[in-house]
Amino acid sequence: MHLIEAQALNGLALGAILALVALGLTIVFGLLGFVNFAHGALLMVGAYAGWIVYSQTNHFFLAMLGALVITFIVGIVIERVLIRLYYARPKQDQILVTYGLAIILVEVVRAIFTGQTRLLSTPAWASGIVNIAGIYYPQYRVIVIAIAAITLAIIYLILFRTRIGLIVRAGIDDVVIVNILGINVKRTFMLVFALGAAIAGLAGIVDGPLLAINPDMGTDVLVQCFVVIVIGGVGSFFGAILGGIVAGEIISLTTAFAPDYASVMLYVAMAVVLIVRPQGLLGVEGRA
Amino acid sequence: MSTQRMLLGLLGLAVFLVLFPIVLQAGGGGIALASRILVLALFGLGVDLIFGFAGLLSFGQAAFYGVGGFVSGYLLISGTVHSTLLALAIGTAAAAFAGILIGALSMRQVGVYLAMLTLAFAQMFYFLDISALRNYTGGENGLPGVPRASVLGLHFTSNHEAYAFIAIVYFIAFAIMWLIVRSSFGHVLRAILENPERAAAAGHDVYLYKVVAFTIAAAYAGLAGGLLGMFQGYLPPDMFTIDTSGQIVVIEVIGGPGTLVGPLIGSIVWIYLSQVFQDFSAVAGLWRLMLGIVFVLLITGFRSGIAGGIILWIRGMARRRSAVATGGD
Repeated sequence: MHLIEAQALNGLALGAILALVALGLTIVFGLLGFVNFAHGALLMVGAYAGWIVYSQTNHFFLAMLGALVITFIVGIVIERVLIRLYYARPKQDQILVTYGLAIILVEVVRAIFTGQTRLLSTPAWASGIVNIAGIYYPQYRVIVIAIAAITLAIIYLILFRTRIGLIVRAGIDDVVIVNILGINVKRTFMLVFALGAAIAGLAGIVDGPLLAINPDMGTDVLVQCFVVIVIGGVGSFFGAILGGIVAGEIISLTTAFAPDYASVMLYVAMAVVLIVRPQGLLGVEGRA
Repeated sequence: MSTQRMLLGLLGLAVFLVLFPIVLQAGGGGIALASRILVLALFGLGVDLIFGFAGLLSFGQAAFYGVGGFVSGYLLISGTVHSTLLALAIGTAAAAFAGILIGALSMRQVGVYLAMLTLAFAQMFYFLDISALRNYTGGENGLPGVPRASVLGLHFTSNHEAYAFIAIVYFIAFAIMWLIVRSSFGHVLRAILENPERAAAAGHDVYLYKVVAFTIAAAYAGLAGGLLGMFQGYLPPDMFTIDTSGQIVVIEVIGGPGTLVGPLIGSIVWIYLSQVFQDFSAVAGLWRLMLGIVFVLLITGFRSGIAGGIILWIRGMARRRSAVATGGD
């Protein structure tokens, strides 16, 4: 009876995570022009980082903090060592190097932790069932939606209400002018890349109890996020959120009614959006 | 380039294809490894046309490799078609058709957007393979029992014969691709790579050229996929995965984009290195990591790949004749 509503809520939880990961991708793309093919791998690194902290402290918020901090640091290191060499190079080189980076991150984690799947149990305080208007629903998924919503709100405030956000948005429009104004764009680039990594890392640990943690977990999420961005519109803040929710609902609802087509429908939807509105639902023409 | 030089080049390729498995065996690789390398080199020829010549970076070539493999393999396994060549032709045509569909939807885009779209569409094919179409494709289990090639009463049943069949197909496909890149079509593609606006201003329908090139690349991938099934007797679902798409891009970049021997050199290096790393017990578990690092170093430092590097080096030697070891550094 309540199957549709329950699946719709599931879709929202999945969509919230996808929106978060896609937003990290889209911020980095917006400012740095990079489509970071290692974004999924960073999500995986965040999941492992959080898993370590959680298994040591048994405290989920510490695990989230750990995932955030560690992926932020990993992001800074990667940007300093590799990414900065690529700002002036063709887009294709940037795609290739981040693809290579993803291989390296996945294999390093596999070498340290083996390929064995790790399970992250839902924290005890979040493992109950809640009753939402007559639908019984896992509490953790509601918390996932809340965490994603809060994070998205914080990113919105940073991007649209702070001086750093102003610089980032100005840099997206015209890096040269921002440089001329005497603002250290290089440092902004580094922080934005690390912020993107940290968002992916946070999504990784929050997703942990819903997915199995293993070195390859980021790949599927990365491709789904590409779809989210295509559907929502490249470089659009609200496009990433809308695209994430649309994608989450499509996956969730087709899983309930036509499981064989659950994964396929998402890509069909992407093709339809491409045909009808190539710039994405909320995208700006000529942004890609 | 004169026709004479082309014939000489093809003769050289023929000699190489005959000697290759012998040299490879001396270096510790088997005949099956040689077949695998040629299949990927054939797959890579298509990638070279779109990436090396037209600058279109696709991360979705696995879709066509898989379609070609599964269509031709299924036709033979199910007994619908008995002729090897007919099955390969239908598989190749099916891959080309998939190439037209995806190409038509993606070729207005360039760069990052194109890479994302092709990757996403390939993922769609992967999920079709393992879920909706699993009654035909074997789903996660793949399709066993693909018969070995058999043409005009000749049966390519042993591993050496299978290699011979693949080598012949590769040779013909290489010659055709050489003609394609030498043709006016190939020249327009290079013009599009150099400057799309100018190519369009010169009256060329850039979109149409890209879709046609993408379709040819898809056909090459499909043909390679069909051959893979025939030599290993089994079609794995991982033909469709992102790893396959990524691997062929890596091979192309390592070998040298825009040089038709690049994909061959790239597959030799990639497949041989992965074999060596796997056999060398101290780093056995780390072979993919090693390859990933090699790949990142190559893109960062040697942008023209191995074949491109060799060509630049030969030119730099001021026409002094130098023997360059095939597949050397």
